[in-house]
Amino acid sequence: MTSELAFREEKTDDSIKVFLSGEVDIYTSQKLKDKLYGIIDSTENDLRIDCSELNYIDSTGLGIFVGTLKRAKQHGKKIYLSNLKDNIRKLFVITGLDRVFIME
Amino acid sequence: MSDSIKLILPFKAEYVSVARLTASGVANRVGFDIETIEDIKVAVSEVCNKLVLLGSKVADCYRIIFNIENNRLCITFDCEDKSLKCIFNDDIEGLGVSIITALMDSVDLCTDDEYILSMSKVLEGNFINESK
Repeated sequence: MTSELAFREEKTDDSIKVFLSGEVDIYTSQKLKDKLYGIIDSTENDLRIDCSELNYIDSTGLGIFVGTLKRAKQHGKKIYLSNLKDNIRKLFVITGLDRVFIME
Repeated sequence: MSDSIKLILPFKAEYVSVARLTASGVANRVGFDIETIEDIKVAVSEVCNKLVLLGSKVADCYRIIFNIENNRLCITFDCEDKSLKCIFNDDIEGLGVSIITALMDSVDLCTDDEYILSMSKVLEGNFINESK
């Protein structure tokens, strides 16, 4: 019925990279929140989020990204978003979040 | 010509994806391009999100009506719970409203009739492709 949200995680010397795949919506967003908040709370490194396999996100998911960014800033960390598909980048532009996040 | 497709969904998050799939199918049938289909899908999903978050004490379900009118797709949201009106008034500058109003050609967030909300998208160029 839906493309399930999935994660893959890679650790480098100075950051943690999370690869998102599937869809983030009102049903799967709690899973994303738990994952991203968990990483921010458990590491000193910056967070890099690869969205190359992320097919869909809604305002709920964007809200989770914003919440994660606020949390990261409180801990003096940065968040980088990379490889966004056009349909997802469009939502960042519409909402002005493209100016809030570091987009690679 | 006016065709109508109706979808009834419970106020549950797990069924919002069904609304997206239906919106995609209907928009594709009308003849919108892939980018516009994606826009319609996202807009429908945002309204569903809000309805699911609000819920209802008197109704189990809400209804999405896709009306295909010549070169226009009109999408209306309805519920037996008539207290569900102007559902975005508490969050008029929120991400959801920004997305819906940016992606659709016209949006009536606070309808004068019995519906909750209506929005539409116009197909530019030719009328619905009958051969699809």
